Amino acid sequence: MPTVRLRDASEYPAPIQKLFEVAKAWFNYDFAQPPAMSRVMAWDPEFGAFHGRAMKRAMTPGEWSRAEKEMVAAVVSGVNACAY
Amino acid sequence: MADDALWYEAALLVGVTNALNVVADSPLAALEPASPSAEAQAVFAEIRAFYDRADVPVAFRRVAADPGYLADLWGAARRVFADNQLTRRHKEALAFAVSVTTRSAFGTAFHLGEMRRLGVGERGVMEVLGVTQMFSSYTKIADTLQLEPDMDGIAVVDPSPAPGGAAPGPTPRPPEAP
Repeated sequence: MPTVRLRDASEYPAPIQKLFEVAKAWFNYDFAQPPAMSRVMAWDPEFGAFHGRAMKRAMTPGEWSRAEKEMVAAVVSGVNACAY
Repeated sequence: MADDALWYEAALLVGVTNALNVVADSPLAALEPASPSAEAQAVFAEIRAFYDRADVPVAFRRVAADPGYLADLWGAARRVFADNQLTRRHKEALAFAVSVTTRSAFGTAFHLGEMRRLGVGERGVMEVLGVTQMFSSYTKIADTLQLEPDMDGIAVVDPSPAPGGAAPGPTPRPPEAP
């Protein structure tokens, strides 16, 4: 169980809710609630904006496809023993 | 990346990468035979040919005192690093990410070198490093807050059987009440 209460999307201000829509498009999946990590990033927009842009830049197709990068992300998560 | 075969292949690669790194990064130089046996030399020749290099990576030299073990370790390593459903180039990127994440000096340098040898440019290297760094951040944030997985619904289930096996039969119906 998370050590904090994850706020529903409706508890965030309107500009942040627009960002949740962007996240939905990024994952191309209709979440009932934005992913927990999106909601964590949105807690501090002055951090989340930079971190989110760095993440998006890292994951955007370039010399490697998005799928190849997702597999890199998965092995890093696995090695870090992160279930999330 | 919907086929399970790709993920089995990646998982085996992660395991072998870590296995090679733990030996290479440990203070085990004293275990390297001064004069490897003819059997070990034959394996070394295969390793040099596979990597197109004059020397044998330290992870293999350190287990050469047991040529049988060396041969089996090399057989497993060659299998997981060779082109298969995942390309060798992509596999080296995965091994590089694993090595950076586990702070392996040997693995980081070795797989960086292999990526470059196989044609990955500086942009490609930076892309892998960026993904590795970003997910080293996300994973620790998630763990600190003990976030629970909420993206498993995105993944599709691969219904194909095990290699060489038969597809699963229909799910048996539970017995009906009399």
